[in-house]
Amino acid sequence: MTGKRLGFISALILAGMCILPLGLGIYPQHVLIVSLFYVMMASSWNLLAGYTGQVSFGHAAMAGIGAYTSGILAVKAGIDPWIGVCAGTAIAALLGLGLGALCLKMGGIYLSLTTLAFSQILHIVIVNEYDVTRGTMGLQVPGLMAEYSKITYYYIMLAAAVLTLAILYRMIHSNLGLNFRAVQNDEVAAKSIGVKVLQVRVLAFTVASAMAGFAGGLYGHYLLLITPEIPSLDLQFNVLAMTVIGGMGSFIGPVIGAFALNILAEKIRDYGEYHVLVFGLVALVVARFAPNGLLGIWRRFRTRPHARSSNRLQD
Amino acid sequence: MALLEGRKICKAFGGVQALRQVDFVVEPGTIVGLIGPNGAGKTTLFNAVAGTFRPTSGKIIFDGADITGLPANAVCRRGMARTFQVTRPFAAMTCLENVMVAAINRHPEKPRSFIESFAHEKLSFVGLDEMEGFEARHLNVIQKKRLEMARALATEPKLLMLDEVLGGLNTQEIGQAVEFIRSLRDRLGLTVLWIEHVMGAIMKAAEQVIVLDQGQVLMAGTAAEVVTDQRVVQAYLGE
Repeated sequence: MTGKRLGFISALILAGMCILPLGLGIYPQHVLIVSLFYVMMASSWNLLAGYTGQVSFGHAAMAGIGAYTSGILAVKAGIDPWIGVCAGTAIAALLGLGLGALCLKMGGIYLSLTTLAFSQILHIVIVNEYDVTRGTMGLQVPGLMAEYSKITYYYIMLAAAVLTLAILYRMIHSNLGLNFRAVQNDEVAAKSIGVKVLQVRVLAFTVASAMAGFAGGLYGHYLLLITPEIPSLDLQFNVLAMTVIGGMGSFIGPVIGAFALNILAEKIRDYGEYHVLVFGLVALVVARFAPNGLLGIWRRFRTRPHARSSNRLQD
Repeated sequence: MALLEGRKICKAFGGVQALRQVDFVVEPGTIVGLIGPNGAGKTTLFNAVAGTFRPTSGKIIFDGADITGLPANAVCRRGMARTFQVTRPFAAMTCLENVMVAAINRHPEKPRSFIESFAHEKLSFVGLDEMEGFEARHLNVIQKKRLEMARALATEPKLLMLDEVLGGLNTQEIGQAVEFIRSLRDRLGLTVLWIEHVMGAIMKAAEQVIVLDQGQVLMAGTAAEVVTDQRVVQAYLGE
């Protein structure tokens, strides 16, 4: 896709997203806001898992760090939520740097287990430190603006998602993006041709964590009640499913996955427990028939007459 | 002054002494063969020299500086490039992208257009330009070896280390490959350190041959000296 055409299509979609909520009721607007939160989560997780091959289970935990940092600062110290969100982003980035450095020598399942442990430890601390976090009761926090307005929240989340995606797009299409993918494909080979593998991996961890912290901070001030549901494995697996079903390792895949799965989740909410079953079935069908996700189906459909192999992974 | 020098390099994996007190020199502008029976420690020596892992003891001097223990990416930056015995292409990236990764780390300040044409040039040099849009996983073994060569050349090395690049080639192709490796030295001024089992090729191309056996240098000399040496014959064929 040429740059001009891509720019045009993006502008069109963005315009559509701006108009979209105007005719909708409060409930669909809420669904869209949550979807945008998941767009940020899945896209930034994709930077880690899809582009550098670091399958972290601590991404929801980073969103929790962002949310609780901002929430606690607002409740205990009366700090403005916007400054709180920035602080939450910074703390998440710092923890991401630490966690990334800790996992440097690890690959595959060991990295996943270490990040899983981090996530569980954080969850336990949040549930038990009742005085600070109000445990499972949840922490009531102020909103981002004085008067609560769904539509304003929608535009804030949209702007945040666009900002996140723009940064990711720039990174993926720069030299850094090539280095990311080289590291994912083969660390030893990457190192042998001059890629600073350690630096690249930690950078991906830091940036992705900062983005999760940012998303989590905004999300917390939208919900007005921060609970351990944010840094939970349920949320982590949602993010994972969205990325994989949308198309891991592609820029747009997680965006599609986030909207598709979140809207699907709302549609099947009425079936109660059965909605987990439907999720499982979707994941199963995608894994069997479309290992490259929804985006893979679209690409296969488009390139069928030609050699599929000449497809580039990146755009 | 030697371009590369190993001083008393030792490497142990647990109780196994893979390298014992290996001393060797590689003079600039030469093609040096590294031979020895299977398990002699040739690839281990490569890995220790190129920074894939740190030798247990000993020193590696490259281009006048001590590079012992430097990570592989730093060693590469100083002008040493290598290929792998079992090829390691970036499977899900196109051939062009494979080479571009090497190029951007050599020339991080250059614009994308320069990087692309630079990478393209390296691919043509190894005869892979027609494959540049294909993902590397679709290449056959010989093409993968060429791709690794292009990737190594794109780091603009002074020393190129080749690990069994002739495997799977027929006699005619071996002849062409030997010519190609010679041209790297003659046209690009590269120094080549070359692990190979195909003795005929080493005999034709290498000025110096180092023979490893059981982790030790058995002897070093010209190709003619090496193949007539009784110790070398014994190492290969047994007593």
